[in-house]
Amino acid sequence: MADAGSDSAQDVGSEASTPSSSKRVTSLLSVLEISVTEPERRTGVSAINMKETYTVYLVETRITDMKSELLPEIFTDETFSLWRRYSEFELLRNYLCVTYPAVVIPPLPEKKIHMMWQKLSGGEDKFDPDFIERRRAGLESFLLRVAAHTQLSQDKIFHAFLHLVEAWKETVLATGYQNKMDSRLKTLNAQFRLKNPDRRFQDLKNYSSELEANIANLLKIRERLAERLYGIHKIHANYGRVFSEWSGIEKEMGDGLQSAGHFMDVYAASIDSMLEEEDTYADALKEYLYFADALRSICRKQELLQYEVEKLEDKLVYLKAQKQQMEQGVDVKSGFSLKGMTTKLFGADTPEIREKKIQQLEEQTQQTEEQLQAAKWELSTYIDRSLQDVERFKRQKVRDLREIFINYSIMQIKLCKKGVSLWNNTKECFTKM
Amino acid sequence: MADGTDSGFSEGQPSGPGGSSGPISPDLDPLNITTSTVDLEESLDMGAETPLDCGPTPRSFYTLFTDGEGDPKAAGDDITVFTQSSLAGLQLDDALASDVHDLFVTVDDPEKHITNMESYITYRVTTKTTRSDYDSHEYVVRRRYQDFLWLRERLEATNPTHLIPPLPEKHSFRRLDRFSPEFLKTRQAALQKFLSRIVDHPTLSFNENLTIFLTAKAWELASHRKQAQGIMGKMGSSMRSMAAGYMMKNRSPEYATMQEYVNTFGAKMGTIDRINQRLLKEMTDYEQDLREFGPVFTLWSNSETELAPAMLGMAAGVEKCEKALEQQISDQEHVFAPPVKEYILYAEAMKAVLKRRDSIQMEYELTVEELNRKRNDREQLKMSDQSYSLGAFMGKDPEEVRQQKRTKLDAQIEELLKQVEVSNDNVECANADLKADLERWHRNKRRDVKEVFSELCDRNIQYYQECLSAWEETLQEINQKSELETASTLATPTSSCPDTPNLATPTSSVTPPLPATPTKEGTEGGASEGQEVTQ
Repeated sequence: MADAGSDSAQDVGSEASTPSSSKRVTSLLSVLEISVTEPERRTGVSAINMKETYTVYLVETRITDMKSELLPEIFTDETFSLWRRYSEFELLRNYLCVTYPAVVIPPLPEKKIHMMWQKLSGGEDKFDPDFIERRRAGLESFLLRVAAHTQLSQDKIFHAFLHLVEAWKETVLATGYQNKMDSRLKTLNAQFRLKNPDRRFQDLKNYSSELEANIANLLKIRERLAERLYGIHKIHANYGRVFSEWSGIEKEMGDGLQSAGHFMDVYAASIDSMLEEEDTYADALKEYLYFADALRSICRKQELLQYEVEKLEDKLVYLKAQKQQMEQGVDVKSGFSLKGMTTKLFGADTPEIREKKIQQLEEQTQQTEEQLQAAKWELSTYIDRSLQDVERFKRQKVRDLREIFINYSIMQIKLCKKGVSLWNNTKECFTKM
Repeated sequence: MADGTDSGFSEGQPSGPGGSSGPISPDLDPLNITTSTVDLEESLDMGAETPLDCGPTPRSFYTLFTDGEGDPKAAGDDITVFTQSSLAGLQLDDALASDVHDLFVTVDDPEKHITNMESYITYRVTTKTTRSDYDSHEYVVRRRYQDFLWLRERLEATNPTHLIPPLPEKHSFRRLDRFSPEFLKTRQAALQKFLSRIVDHPTLSFNENLTIFLTAKAWELASHRKQAQGIMGKMGSSMRSMAAGYMMKNRSPEYATMQEYVNTFGAKMGTIDRINQRLLKEMTDYEQDLREFGPVFTLWSNSETELAPAMLGMAAGVEKCEKALEQQISDQEHVFAPPVKEYILYAEAMKAVLKRRDSIQMEYELTVEELNRKRNDREQLKMSDQSYSLGAFMGKDPEEVRQQKRTKLDAQIEELLKQVEVSNDNVECANADLKADLERWHRNKRRDVKEVFSELCDRNIQYYQECLSAWEETLQEINQKSELETASTLATPTSSCPDTPNLATPTSSVTPPLPATPTKEGTEGGASEGQEVTQ
């Protein structure tokens, strides 16, 4: 998970931190820090003229290397900050998705609660402080990941997001990015009508489904485990109480029981901070759950582009066949054809008309060939770029997930050590009795 | 007390095998209570001087019950679960005098018996003794739970003033399977404890019912049991005991305190038992979830290549924790819970003996009341006018009537005096027995609590240590792979520069076409640059 601290953020983002990559500094994150803090409640008027309450977050940017060439020109101050609400983050992300379809765009924290088990733990209320805090962390991670990406971090709208206080929304809309969005229908069509689906993207789709399923499963069980562990610790508070009461009727054993009871209370209380920490790792994993969606978008775009190519290829074949037909006259053996019908009904074309038609077809063919070339080029560039970014994503994912596992293990180790020490203390109470 | 002569005073006698002492001294003035009390206290003090916390206990005493030494059968042949269970490993109750250590009993080897009517378990009871009132030095018999029940009933009936150790409950509630190995081991240990406590009690260990229990053949025991059923038992005292607690005038506050203590103690033990049950349930559920957790990592590792070792490491860590938890759960149920249940039963036994003591005191007070009434009557008689009595009415001389009544009352008073004397002694004996038993019980309770709860802590420590090493190992594995990985990526520099367009892998053989494209590229990659950002 991308943390606020610049060190780990560097790990997350710029490749400069890994010894394997080149020494070049490649992204914005190496020269500045971003943090999302201080959620505040605001009331305003919504688009439909109704009063609404929403939360805003303070987005603070601090530049660490003022002299860097990477810095956009508009970043003149060393620190600057502004308030953003969730919908603005959403807008930024949508813009980036449309503008950089070959990039695996980092996900935003959830808007609504999807999974039942989260509802039960009180996450449904969007003003619940816990929910807001976890959202804040997710939003920060999002910005850090964007800033860490070579291409994305150069985007002017992104810079404006960090810097432009007034009318940022209008600026985004002014780019007309919505026009570039692919229609749902087209995308769906593409999915189902590809003749030769690209093996790599099929694999990627499968991979993203597996990733999603595995993480979802993991998170569900982790939640259950957390609840049980919580229960077990809290039951020990009952031991604390009964030892305390019991100590009241005992003479020599009284002190020992009393202290033992105290330790039981400590034990019961110790679980709270541990579970809070575990929540942060769960959130980090959840980020990758949403990343699966971003991967699928990549696949969809590829399918669309390939579909365009195939459509054009088909068209080309058809045109050529048409031309052939024209030149050779009606081909009786081809069975039913419109040409055959019209010929029978209206008489065959005159040579002049035929000539004209053939020319038309040639023009169309030429056009289609050009289109096909363009589409093929677009497809191949897209494939190159997207696969490259997918590789970057995968490497990042390996780093991130490993870090999560390491942190989780360290947390468990801490918990175990605390447990050993606490039970040793408790034992002393009894042995000294 | 049917054969109460030997119960009250044997504690005061420091020597002599067998210990049945002489009857109550006839010189005692039955109403001069203080004298008899003093005597009793003196003899008690004598007993107290013999160190209750027996310093160096004879070595032979312990060999029987420590693991692996002495009689190898002592700890039970098949106990692999407990090497140091809180029941089997606990020391025996302290004995007052060192020469009581001449009777050793062990319980082991549960066996299932199936008959047409029922199936049940018997345990082997082995006795070793040097006592002269036992015909042989060693006995081996088979006894079932019902036999233990019989023994306890008989002991209670013949020693109402003593605290009789409890037996484990008849049924186990959580496990419906009363033949499961864990249940049998727990019960065996509890039965062992029961017998050890009795054998170690200075009075109870000489009880003839115990001797029968330890030595009789199966058919002999059966006939004794039938006999016992013929005797209706002490109905009278049980009825009186119901009212006793509330009606006593002279009960000293220490008994009220004892009562309160026992009630509270029993309640606390009950609470602890319930907490144990809840904890057990939660831990079991937790373990089930853990069992599902590990495989998720394993499954996930199938779709990851570089992370697979780390994920398998996680899975392994989780699995080891689950194993540790399994052990913890088993200990919670079979090692920690039974002693707590036993002390709940002990509290009940204590309540019973307190009640019985109360009823004995009640009897004494009633007798004294009766005596005073009769004396009062006698005084009244001197001054009364017998002319209107029934006897005079029937033609007798009033003076004769008075004399007859006087004689009758004298006889009654004489009888009551004796009864008062006896019942007073009973009270004193009962108090002494109770006091001694309770003192012993408190000492043992303290030791048991120490041991049982220390062991609970030990097991938790062990659990956490196992989990600790599991996660440390996992951490190592995860980190290790990371080094391997960086090593491998260093070897292939081309794949490590992510932002140079990777044209090395041609996806199509299409050449970048016509002028149309550069603008396309420009708009795609540099869409943001094309935009003027207005401020």
